[in-house]
Amino acid sequence: MTRNTEAAFIVAGSVLASLGVAMVRFAEGGWLDADVALTFVSFSLAFGAVHIGFRRWAPSANPLLLPIATFLAAIGGIEVFRLDPDLAALQRWWLLVAGATGAGLLWLLRSSGVAVLRRYRYLFLAAATALLLVPLLPESWPVHGAIVNGSRLWLRADLPFADYALSFQPGEVAKVLLTIFLASYLADRSEAMATVSRSLGPLRFPEPRHLGPVLIAAVGAFAVLVYQRDLGASLLLFGLFIGMLYVATGRGVYLGAGVVLGATAGVFAYLLFGHVQTRIAAWLDPFADYTGAGYQTAQGLFAMGSGSLTGSGIGLGRPDLIPAAATDFIFAAVGEELGLAGSIALITAYVFLVAVGFGIALRSRDRFRKYLAAGLTILIGLQSFLILAGIVRLMPITGITLPFVSYGGSSLLASALTLALLGRVSHEERA
Amino acid sequence: MNAPLRRTAIALLMAFAVLIGATVWIQAIEGPAYRDDPRNPRLTAWRVGRERGAIIAADGTALARSDPNPQDPQTFARVYPQDEAYAHTVGFVSVLFGARGLEETRTSDLVSQRTSTISGVLNAVLGGDPRPRGLRLTIDHDLQRAAVDALEGLQGSIIALDPSTGAVLASASTPGFDPNTLVGADAAPAGRDLEDDPDEPLLNRAIATTYPPGSTFKIVTTAAALETGIAGPTTEFADPVELELPGSTATIKNADGDTCTGGSTVTLEDGFVRSCNTTFAALGMEVGADALAETAEAFGFNSVIPYDLDVLASAFPSPGDGDPAATAQNAIGQRDVRSTPMQMALVAAAVANEGNIMVPYVVADVFKHDGTIESSTQPSIWRRAISPASAAVLSDLMEKVVISGTGRNAAVPGVRVAGKTGTAEVTGAAPYVWFVGFAPVDPEPGERQIALAVVLERGGSAGENASGGSVAAPIASRLFETYLR
Repeated sequence: MTRNTEAAFIVAGSVLASLGVAMVRFAEGGWLDADVALTFVSFSLAFGAVHIGFRRWAPSANPLLLPIATFLAAIGGIEVFRLDPDLAALQRWWLLVAGATGAGLLWLLRSSGVAVLRRYRYLFLAAATALLLVPLLPESWPVHGAIVNGSRLWLRADLPFADYALSFQPGEVAKVLLTIFLASYLADRSEAMATVSRSLGPLRFPEPRHLGPVLIAAVGAFAVLVYQRDLGASLLLFGLFIGMLYVATGRGVYLGAGVVLGATAGVFAYLLFGHVQTRIAAWLDPFADYTGAGYQTAQGLFAMGSGSLTGSGIGLGRPDLIPAAATDFIFAAVGEELGLAGSIALITAYVFLVAVGFGIALRSRDRFRKYLAAGLTILIGLQSFLILAGIVRLMPITGITLPFVSYGGSSLLASALTLALLGRVSHEERA
Repeated sequence: MNAPLRRTAIALLMAFAVLIGATVWIQAIEGPAYRDDPRNPRLTAWRVGRERGAIIAADGTALARSDPNPQDPQTFARVYPQDEAYAHTVGFVSVLFGARGLEETRTSDLVSQRTSTISGVLNAVLGGDPRPRGLRLTIDHDLQRAAVDALEGLQGSIIALDPSTGAVLASASTPGFDPNTLVGADAAPAGRDLEDDPDEPLLNRAIATTYPPGSTFKIVTTAAALETGIAGPTTEFADPVELELPGSTATIKNADGDTCTGGSTVTLEDGFVRSCNTTFAALGMEVGADALAETAEAFGFNSVIPYDLDVLASAFPSPGDGDPAATAQNAIGQRDVRSTPMQMALVAAAVANEGNIMVPYVVADVFKHDGTIESSTQPSIWRRAISPASAAVLSDLMEKVVISGTGRNAAVPGVRVAGKTGTAEVTGAAPYVWFVGFAPVDPEPGERQIALAVVLERGGSAGENASGGSVAAPIASRLFETYLR
C-alpha cells in the first residue's frame, strides 16, 4: 500500500460517512442536504490533513492507520448524526480540530522525531497530572470542573460572549501524555526493573524500590476512582501501567503484583462505594432493577437484539431510546441499525488497528519508540475493549468512550494524537 | 525483548475474539428474545408511533387513519372513527395489547416500505412510493351499520357476503369494544377489563368461535342425500311423534313435540320446510356417516377457510364406528357438529352460486398514498361443494322455507328470499338461534346478491322460548332489505 492508496481510502471513508448521513435523511423522509456535503468535506479535510502530514513529515508511516481510523470515524459520524444532527455538526468541528492537531504534531516532530518527547517526560507527567486534576477546580471559577452523570471528569469554560459553556474532558488527553511519560521512564529503567534478585521461597522478586511504580499505579488509579468516581478511567490507567511494565520487563511478577493489587483495590472499591456495587449488580442481572441501575444495560441489549443479524437499517432503528447512545453506548446503536454484520465489522476494525499498532511496536528497534507504540496500542485496544465488553456484558459498564467512534471532542483529539504518534514511530523505524 | 510484547498482543487480540463471541451471542442467539421482550420500548414505538396506511369501507368511509401527533410530528396516533362498528375486522394496534384484525394481518401493507433492504433501496432508486399503503375493504358501510344496530344489546354475530365473488359485505360481532380505548399508553385498565370480561368482547364471533349449527345443518344433510341420490324432495319418510334411535335410549322429537305434517308419511320437502327433526334424523341414518362427513367436508368443514383474518375450522366428526344414533343427531346439527357463522354463510352462498364456494375476502384493494390502486383482490373459487343440479333443488327448498315454512319472518316484499332457520338446544340455557340464507334467488345479470348467517346466543331477545324463525329471521329480513333496496 502506498500513500496514494491511503488517500483513496480516506476519500472512500468520507464518501461512506456522507452516504450514511444521506441515508439518515432519506429514512426521515427528507432528501440530500447540506449536512451530506459538509460531512464529506469535514472528513476529507480532517483525515486529509493528517494524510498530508504523513506525506510531508512521515512519508514512510504505516499506510493502514488512516484508512482504519477513517472507517471507524465514518461509522461513528453516521450514528452520531442519526442520533442528534446538532451534535454531529459540533463533531465535524472537533474532527477538523483533531485533524489539524494531528498534522500539527507531525510538523512539530518533523526534524527531531519522537525522541524529543523522551527528553521532556517529566513535563508530560506534570501536564497529565494537572489535566487529571483540573476537573476539581471549584465551580465558582470561570474555568471549572463539572460533574456529568455522577463523574467529575469535565472541564467547563463559561464563555462570556456566548450562552453556552465549552466542555472538555482533559483526562482523554492526559492518558496519551501519561503513555509518553511511561514509555520514556521505562526505556531508561526497564533493565534494572527486570532484574529479579530477591527471592521469597520459590518466588523471585525485583528490588522492592522497583515495585514502587506498580504501587503508584494502583494508588493513582484508586485515587482517580475516589475523587472522580470514574471506574473506566481508573481501570484503563491501571491496565496501561501494568501492561507497559510487563512489555518493558517481561517479568510476570509485575502482572501478578498488579492483579493482586488491582483485585484488592477492586474489593475495597466494592465495599466502600455504592456506585461500584450498583454497577456490579446491574452487570450480573440488568433486569433485576430494570427501571433503575440496569436500565442502560438493558436498553443496550434490547437495541442489539432488535438489530439482529442485518440491523434495522440506518435511520430506521430506535437507538435514541438508549441512554448515552452517542457516547458510551454508541456500539449498541451501531449494533441496532447495522446489525451483527456492522458490530463485527466495527470490532474487526479495532482488531486490525491493534494488530497494526503492535506490529509497529514489534518492528521498532529503539526502546522508547517500541514502548511508545506498544503503550498507545494498549491504550486504544484496552479502551475499546473495556467499553465494548461492558455493553455486551462481559464485564460491568465502565463508562468510557469508544475511540474514533463515540461523540466527544477530547476523545477525538486524543485519538488524533495517538494516530500521529503511531504514524511517526512507524516512519522512523522504516526510514 | 519482543516476547512479552507478542504475548500482550496475543492476549489483547484474544480478548477481542471473546468480544466477537459475546456479540454473536447477544445479537444472533439471544437477539430474538431481547427483541420480543415486552419491556423492549421498540415494540411500542414501532407498532404504534409510526404512520400507518388508511383503512376505508367500500364507499370510502374512513375506518382507521393515522393523525400526526401535534407535539411530535415524527409520530402518529391511530384513530378509529367508527368506534365499535368495525372493531373485530379492522382490529387495532395498541401499545399494551398488541395488534389484532387487519391491523395485524396486513401490517406489511400498512407500514412504510422505506427500508434499508435491497428491495427497499431499489424501490426508492426506481422512484417507487415508499409511503404506507391503504386498504379499501369490501364491506358495505350501510349494511355493516344495519348489522351492528340489529345486534345492539344482544350477543351474537352476523356475516354477509356476495355469493358470486366471496366479497364480505358485513361482519359484526357483539358484545364489541371501542378500539380507540386500547390504543394509548393509558389503556391498561380498559384493556384488562375487556380481557377479563366473561362475555369475551374481543372475540370475533363471526370467524373465531363455533356453535352447534342446529337445523341450518339440514342444508348439508339434504345436499348429501341429493349428491348420493339416496333421496329427492319427493322421497317419503315415516312421520312419527318421536323417532327411536337404534342402540340408544335417546329419541328424537320435533320442536313442537308433535308429528311433522300429521299424516303417516312426510316428504323430504315438507320436512325441510317445517324443519322436522324426525325426518332428517331418519334421512341422516339412511345417508350414513361417511357420505354425511364427505359432504360436510366438501362445504369446508374440518378445513381452515382462507380469509384475510384467521378463521377457526368448523368441525364435523369423522365417521368413526358409524354409530347410527350419533349420525342421526349430527344430521340435525346437534351433538358433535360445530360451525362458525362464516362457514354456514358459505353453505348458503354455495347454494346461491351453483354449488361453488368462492374464497371469502374483505380487502378489495391495496392503494398507494396518492390513492391509486396498487393491487385488487381477484375473486377465485375455493371449492366446488355440490353439483349445480343439487344447488338448484336446495335453492328451491330454501325459498319455500321463507315462503311458507319456519323462515317466513325473513321475507322481504318483492324479493325472492331463500333460507333456513336453526335453533340449537343448549342444556340448561336458552338456545343458539340461527338464520342462514340468501337473496334474491336467481338474480338478473348485474343484480346484487347477498348470502348471510345470523347467530344469536342465549336466544337473542326472546330468551328461553326463542327460535331461529322468531328471532334471527327478522334480522335477516332487515339486512336483505338494507342491501337490496
